[in-house]
Amino acid sequence: MNIKEDGLSHAFFFCQQLDSAQDLNRRSLEKELGLRIRFFPLPCSGRIESLHLLRALENGADKVYIITCPEGACRHQEGNTRAKKRAAFAQRLISEFGLEPDRLEFVEAPALPSPSIDRVARDLLAREIRIAPLPWAGKEKKVPKEISRKERRDDYRGEKAPRRDQREHRLL
Amino acid sequence: MNPESRLKRVLFAGHFAVTAECGPPKGADPDLVRKKGNLLKGYVDSVNVTDNQTGVVRLCSLAACALLREEGLDPVLQMVTRDRNRIALQSDVLGGSALGIRNLLCLSGDHQSFGNQADAKGVFDLDSIQFLRAVREMRDGRHILGGEELSRGPDLFIGAAENPFADPFFYRVLRLEKKTAAGAEFIQTQCIYNLPKFKEWMARVRERGLEKKVFILGGVTPLKSARMAEYMAKNVAGMDIPGEVLGRMKAVSPKQQRAEGLKICVETIQALRQIQGVRGVHIMAIEWEEAVPELVKEAGLWPRPEA
Amino acid sequence: MITAERKPLAEIKESIASYRKLLILGCGSCVAECASGGEKETALLASQLRMDARREGRSLEAKEMTLDRQCVYQFIDQLAAVIGDYDAVLSLGCGAGVQAVAEVFPRTHVIPALNTTFLGQTKQPGLWLENCRGCGDCKLDSFADICPVTRCSKGLFNGPCGGSKNEKCEVDPDTPCAWQLIVTRLEERGKLSNLEKVHPPARWSKKEGRGPRKIAREDQRT
Repeated sequence: MNIKEDGLSHAFFFCQQLDSAQDLNRRSLEKELGLRIRFFPLPCSGRIESLHLLRALENGADKVYIITCPEGACRHQEGNTRAKKRAAFAQRLISEFGLEPDRLEFVEAPALPSPSIDRVARDLLAREIRIAPLPWAGKEKKVPKEISRKERRDDYRGEKAPRRDQREHRLL
Repeated sequence: MNPESRLKRVLFAGHFAVTAECGPPKGADPDLVRKKGNLLKGYVDSVNVTDNQTGVVRLCSLAACALLREEGLDPVLQMVTRDRNRIALQSDVLGGSALGIRNLLCLSGDHQSFGNQADAKGVFDLDSIQFLRAVREMRDGRHILGGEELSRGPDLFIGAAENPFADPFFYRVLRLEKKTAAGAEFIQTQCIYNLPKFKEWMARVRERGLEKKVFILGGVTPLKSARMAEYMAKNVAGMDIPGEVLGRMKAVSPKQQRAEGLKICVETIQALRQIQGVRGVHIMAIEWEEAVPELVKEAGLWPRPEA
Repeated sequence: MITAERKPLAEIKESIASYRKLLILGCGSCVAECASGGEKETALLASQLRMDARREGRSLEAKEMTLDRQCVYQFIDQLAAVIGDYDAVLSLGCGAGVQAVAEVFPRTHVIPALNTTFLGQTKQPGLWLENCRGCGDCKLDSFADICPVTRCSKGLFNGPCGGSKNEKCEVDPDTPCAWQLIVTRLEERGKLSNLEKVHPPARWSKKEGRGPRKIAREDQRT
């Protein structure tokens, strides 16, 4: 299925439980769109923090989707409700400085058994209401280059987050 | 000539006392106070002056009482602890007495957030009961908090307020007892619309023999309209207006509501006269002081006795 | 803990407007507990400010760092190595922390990002309630462990006042009447007689005394 070529970058945060073969299923879109599409599988959508969503925007995503298991179907009970609250909080934070809150979109996957992540992503992209590129997109020369599969990092905490051992302020 | 508390004399003589409230103006005009005072003169034994009620800035109670004193009335100085610390409170007590004011009502006061100075600091250095005790000590012990002696103690008949309708209900009687033990000689209650509940409270009061230790005056407020009744029921803390009272107000046309409100008030006063232990009535006709003479007459309480 | 809330973003923006290199400094203690100034919140604020600057075409370098505590020199000293790299420090510490950092680095502009509010407890995740006013003269034992200075809107020691209705305070229908709570708990404990005595006025000198208070312990000083 062809997806709209709008030149925008997208990030998909999603619960792994939705598609056990997600690693495989997402490759087709990754091939088509290169670094303009990023997938971040989560052990549970409840692991999502507002910070991850802001970092995704900071790292160039024009639009971020948060996809959870349907209501009542969270393996960890409240993971999806928590994710919803954090997505809403992140929306408030970005509207504080003038970004459109619908750059972050919270989606409940259709009832299980769920379609593949490829299907879900393509459907979302197909029905996406056109959003403007990030307001600073044109002002910077950041052009995503092609990278190999191996170099892709699913680190949803964002590339800029320091690893634990790198933090300097901890006392020994 | 040293003035005396008429309220005290009337109560000790065994008469059913009548007091009324006078709201001072939101301005510096003394004549407005004098006018209200003269409306009430002869119809009541004493006149309470509120102290920046609901945290709204008005001509201070102390000055208004002094003006009423000059007009020949017996004022009740209301003092709240919300606005003044213990230094100012004790100082004003001395000042009030020096100006010939002979009655004092000790209150905590409505929280400042209700008024027109919501950013003001609520002082509450003392609460009403600590204040009661302090004044009692000033009068009977001739010393201030901390023990230092006064050259002359204040001459005051000391009172407090109580709300039989606030929570927790069972504790309200114990609180009355506490206020009495702390020094209250008379009590004016929050306005009564729920007579059954008030009677229940009085029964408990009598169980503890309190009606013999403190003079209880039941509070009443004539309703001006059904809207006023609804507003009070919803917005005023500690107010208890039963459905049937609201119903009576709504059942008549707007033009007749004032008359109905006055009628209910008179009935309440007459009922209070029948309750053992109630020694008087306190009429709080907010911004309707002109209604007081009529109420007093209709309730059969005029003329006031010689005392 | 001490609680605080982040200032409105517009206010923060105005105070950092002239700076290009900022150190966003969090604190791992009280403000982390009340989710206003911990490592997470520091990272969020930094991210917001960076994106905002990009949106406006301003250059802004904002780096995050969180100290275990901002009110103790031992931790603040860790900044010495890095502080020279920045134009200013945006601190997510409480008022005590901001001032302590400013004291150690007096020539650095240390800007508060939080409004420090009260001493309180975590009632539930995401809900913090004030329960202590630091009066310096703790009387909790007289009031069934419910502080009247803090939790009674009028600070009554011989409450309740006449405004208590449906067990709530007249000032805010969401606030329980502290005296309702005290009376109920004493009744449950069979100790209602505690309330018969008139609790005397507070000694505010313990709180206000001679200006800002201090505690000096010779046995603790080096």
